[in-house]
Amino acid sequence: MSAQKKRNFKIEAFKHRVELDPNYAERTWKVLEHAIHEIYNHNASGLSFEELYRNAYNMVLHKYGEKLYTGLVNTMTGHLKEIARSIEAAQGDFFLEELNVKWGDHNKALQMIRDILMYMDRTFVHSSHKTPVHELGLNIWRDNIIHSSKIQTRLLDMLLDLIHRERTGEVINRGLMRNITKMLMDLGSSVYQEDFEKPFLEVSASFYSVESQQLIECCDCGEYLRKAERRLSEEIERVSHYLDVKSEVKITSVVEGEMIANHMQRLVHMENSGLVSMLVDDKYEDLSRMYNLFRRVPNGLSTIKDVMNSHLRETGKQLVSDPEKLKDPVDFVQNLLNEKDKYDKIISKAFNNDKTFQNALNSSFEYFINLNNRSPEFISLYVDDKLRKGLKGVSEEDVEVVLDKVMMLFRYLQEKDVFEKYYKQHLAKRLLSGKSVSDDTERSMIVKLKTECGYQFTSKLEGMFTDMKTSVDTMQGFYASQYSEIGDGPTLAVQVLTTGSWPTQPNAPCNLPAEIHVICEKFRTYYLGTHTGRRLTWQTNMGTADIKATFGMGQKHELNVSTYQMCILMLFNSVDRLTYGEIEQATEIPPSDLKRCLQSLACVKGKNVLRKEPMSKDIAEDDAFYFNDKFTSKFIKVKIGTVAAQKESEPEKQETRQRVEEDRKPQIEAAIVRIMKSRRVLDHNTIVTEVTSQLQSRFLPNPVVIKKRIESLIEREFLERDKADRKLYRYLA
Amino acid sequence: MASRRGRIRFNVGGKIFETTATTLANAGRHSMLGALLDDSWNPRQPAEGEAAEAEYFIDRNPACFAVLLDLLRTGELHVPPNMPEKLLNREALFYGLLDQVRAARWGPFDGNRLQLVDSVSGRAPGDGTAIRAGPDGGCCVAHGSMVHVYDWMLEEHRPISLDYQQVNDVGYIDAESIVISARERLGKGDGGMGVFSSSTGELRHRFRVSHYDQVKSFTAGALSLGSSDYKIFASCKGRCNEYGIGVWDQITGQQVDFFYEPPGCCLGDADKLQWLDGDKCLMVATLFPRTDNCFIGLLDFRDKSVIWSWSDAGTSVSLSLDEKRVLHAIAIEDSRSICVVNQYDDLGFIDLRSNAGGVRWSSRSKLTNRKAPNEESCYPKLATHDGQLFSSMNDGISVFCGPERVLTSTLRRSYGGSICDFSIGGDRLFALHSEENVFDVWETPPSPII
Repeated sequence: MSAQKKRNFKIEAFKHRVELDPNYAERTWKVLEHAIHEIYNHNASGLSFEELYRNAYNMVLHKYGEKLYTGLVNTMTGHLKEIARSIEAAQGDFFLEELNVKWGDHNKALQMIRDILMYMDRTFVHSSHKTPVHELGLNIWRDNIIHSSKIQTRLLDMLLDLIHRERTGEVINRGLMRNITKMLMDLGSSVYQEDFEKPFLEVSASFYSVESQQLIECCDCGEYLRKAERRLSEEIERVSHYLDVKSEVKITSVVEGEMIANHMQRLVHMENSGLVSMLVDDKYEDLSRMYNLFRRVPNGLSTIKDVMNSHLRETGKQLVSDPEKLKDPVDFVQNLLNEKDKYDKIISKAFNNDKTFQNALNSSFEYFINLNNRSPEFISLYVDDKLRKGLKGVSEEDVEVVLDKVMMLFRYLQEKDVFEKYYKQHLAKRLLSGKSVSDDTERSMIVKLKTECGYQFTSKLEGMFTDMKTSVDTMQGFYASQYSEIGDGPTLAVQVLTTGSWPTQPNAPCNLPAEIHVICEKFRTYYLGTHTGRRLTWQTNMGTADIKATFGMGQKHELNVSTYQMCILMLFNSVDRLTYGEIEQATEIPPSDLKRCLQSLACVKGKNVLRKEPMSKDIAEDDAFYFNDKFTSKFIKVKIGTVAAQKESEPEKQETRQRVEEDRKPQIEAAIVRIMKSRRVLDHNTIVTEVTSQLQSRFLPNPVVIKKRIESLIEREFLERDKADRKLYRYLA
Repeated sequence: MASRRGRIRFNVGGKIFETTATTLANAGRHSMLGALLDDSWNPRQPAEGEAAEAEYFIDRNPACFAVLLDLLRTGELHVPPNMPEKLLNREALFYGLLDQVRAARWGPFDGNRLQLVDSVSGRAPGDGTAIRAGPDGGCCVAHGSMVHVYDWMLEEHRPISLDYQQVNDVGYIDAESIVISARERLGKGDGGMGVFSSSTGELRHRFRVSHYDQVKSFTAGALSLGSSDYKIFASCKGRCNEYGIGVWDQITGQQVDFFYEPPGCCLGDADKLQWLDGDKCLMVATLFPRTDNCFIGLLDFRDKSVIWSWSDAGTSVSLSLDEKRVLHAIAIEDSRSICVVNQYDDLGFIDLRSNAGGVRWSSRSKLTNRKAPNEESCYPKLATHDGQLFSSMNDGISVFCGPERVLTSTLRRSYGGSICDFSIGGDRLFALHSEENVFDVWETPPSPII
């Protein structure tokens, strides 16, 4: 204890904290500030990075981060204010150059400043939620340079002026432009948009509004579209060269709006050069251009489509109603096919195979083909023509192509059942006269119809083919069994046709010559002997015959004639002169057919095996006919055709129509019963729509007819009217 | 002379280092070394002969520079035993190489290769509330009304003090932000939820709950951070029976949704929330409820429906002490099940694919023998990571792997008492002990090069 007292000294604590040099922060900052000045003055080569970094590090470490940061803000602002003044002072075109140079300098300086202050950026800036140095530098540049009142409008005006000059054909410094717009983008997308893009789009809109007005006054449609397309690609190119990628959509929509959307109607309807004349003249390039440009604007394509549609309907209407063109059915159909080909080509070449255009094309064709109710007949005649002769020497693929095209037209028909009627008639003629070019082609057509309309549509047509085949077998059997009895008599070829499959008219058979009659009876016994319970009727109006005739000079000819003609000629075996009345009496051929036969035997030059008195074109009741001794021909075989109207005459047409209407009745009734059976109770309008939709694939039933059928069904007690509501029908099981 | 090209000589604190530009390029342009060598700071290209003489002086610790240069050369970090980590971290921060150091220090998390790298003890007494790992390797520890925040270097930041409000749960959003849920004290209008700055400890934003456009005070319970869409979920108890789960946006801080508690489901009292990213639904587990029944459910916020639920209502009628009671739960999305644990440390599984299934317990009684009779025990906790299941019991953590949940590793340390909470995140596992205020940090060492 005492020892302690004696020593009596103690270690005193320091009375004051060890403090840093109070001017430390200020001095360090001065070093850094000086460095920033030197960097801006391009004098950085004398600076030591390590020293500056260490100084900045130390300031942050000693909690002078705030001072460092505000110092940086102030120094940089000061420098940029100075730069702003030097940019403002730049004259004329040097303004942008100067701005660009200074921007480059600033970026470089900013990079170096950030290097020095990296530690502050990582620690102080992060933890105190301040703006990082790089972003800070951009913000200060934006506020002091770009948004400086003396620069902002001048910059914008210059940029817009340069673009305007380029649009009018001058060459501008694109590199400089790119640098400036890049600067605006770097400063943030809002700077680019507000300070450049928005006014740029406005100016562009007015520029193109004026230009399009001028162009449309002096150019035709094709030319205008070419120019618009060029403008559009120019703008896209401009974007790729020196604007932000995102501007492309905006500027193209401006050009589209001003140059296309605003003048769409006028362009399309332009006299002598608009859409219609492009279509007429097959201007694929112009059409394609129009399609591609109009596609860019709302309602553009529908505008084209509407105009094309109405034009197509107009020309189609002319095509099907022009009496000149109705004269030849083959040409008529060929014209339709050509029209279809033309538009198919336009759509595939110019309209990018656009589905909506194809649909429009189809609906137009459907519309005008059905305007003419003879279309089904004509189409069938066209096929008939092709299958008779038209396709000789044509390869199988080409045949398919033609048939496919016909099927396309067939699809447009509403009255498919009428087509079927005619087709059956024409097919029967082809088969019976053996004029069909190729069995394969016939069958391929049937297959096409079958895939299109289903089994029932073609079952009768197929039946016809079967009949033809069995007939061949029957004839072989007949001759095999009767060979000995027949001897040298005329050869008979019988085609046994099933009633119902063939379009036969109940026709009283004519009187056959005795030789023929004998062998016909033999066939009848043979056939009925092998097939019991059947009935055979001779359709003499459909047969043909080959007869040998010897004329005055001894020359022999083989005549190819119809059965009727054969009957007439055989009469002349015994006499040389017969009157019309005698012939009619002897053969009992119906007068209209008889007249036609005689006409073809006596009045056709080169085939006049008979002589008529008096000589005239037409056959009269009191004419007399002579065997023409002096008949000559350089052919051994002479084919004597019947003067037959290929196309149906007016009364025939009426008759066919009537038969079609008659055939439709049971179909409509069947449809009504089918529908009512499943629905039990239905009102009138619903039945009509349902029946229409069910039968649409075959024909378009007339509502009046449907009503009549319903009434008939009510009479026959298939249906009854509801007692409470007269509009309702009830199915009676 | 060609061999000299690309060589760079440093003088760091008096010691000479020579390296190549390629090695230094690994530091990146945005590092101190990258800037130092950048052309803008070396305007004049030195002539060939000069190059050998030019050297860069750096006034720093040469030993640390050697370690960091080695890191740049090899990508591996080898710290000499006598070098304090803090020193190295400070130097790395100076050079801007902290990210590289962080990446080289520990590898991707693997429960079977964990190594204890640190035990951090704090000033507070034991009985911590919760420990939560952050995505960057940091963590925060809640004790009563205090939250201590540690960054990934395990440097303690300024503690967050809530003026004696009881902290219920915490969440480590990022290095700067900690979300805290606290109990409301009657008449004070405090409590609720807030985001605090981890560097300053200040309240940055307070999350509000409004019912029918009226802002109400509330007690926030368990928290869950949505992984991909920046949402925060919290179980909420309002004053006027406004119980349910609130949803906020992490960025704007605004309330975006509220799931009102349907009858029969205790949501406001939930002890554990877990956002399931694959199913886009939230698992809610209420295991210590006001009523007697535990409840686990999956909530779909899009149509406000409970798409799956489980409750022990049927089984716990005769609640005796022996009854197996679910104490913690975790959803394992991969195996479509929820794993639960009871007071005997038995693991159980509930199938998420059927709605009325029971718990399938897998007994592991032989493991529980270790329980010392007098030792104060903590409730077991569960966690999953990459298909591995972690379960704390007493003073250890068991790691189970594979579809059969085979026990593959055990993490244990000798002191600190039993583990009251643990958390996995940022490729680290943090385990908080109950008796002493100490938490352990477990890391997976980087994969060996060969």
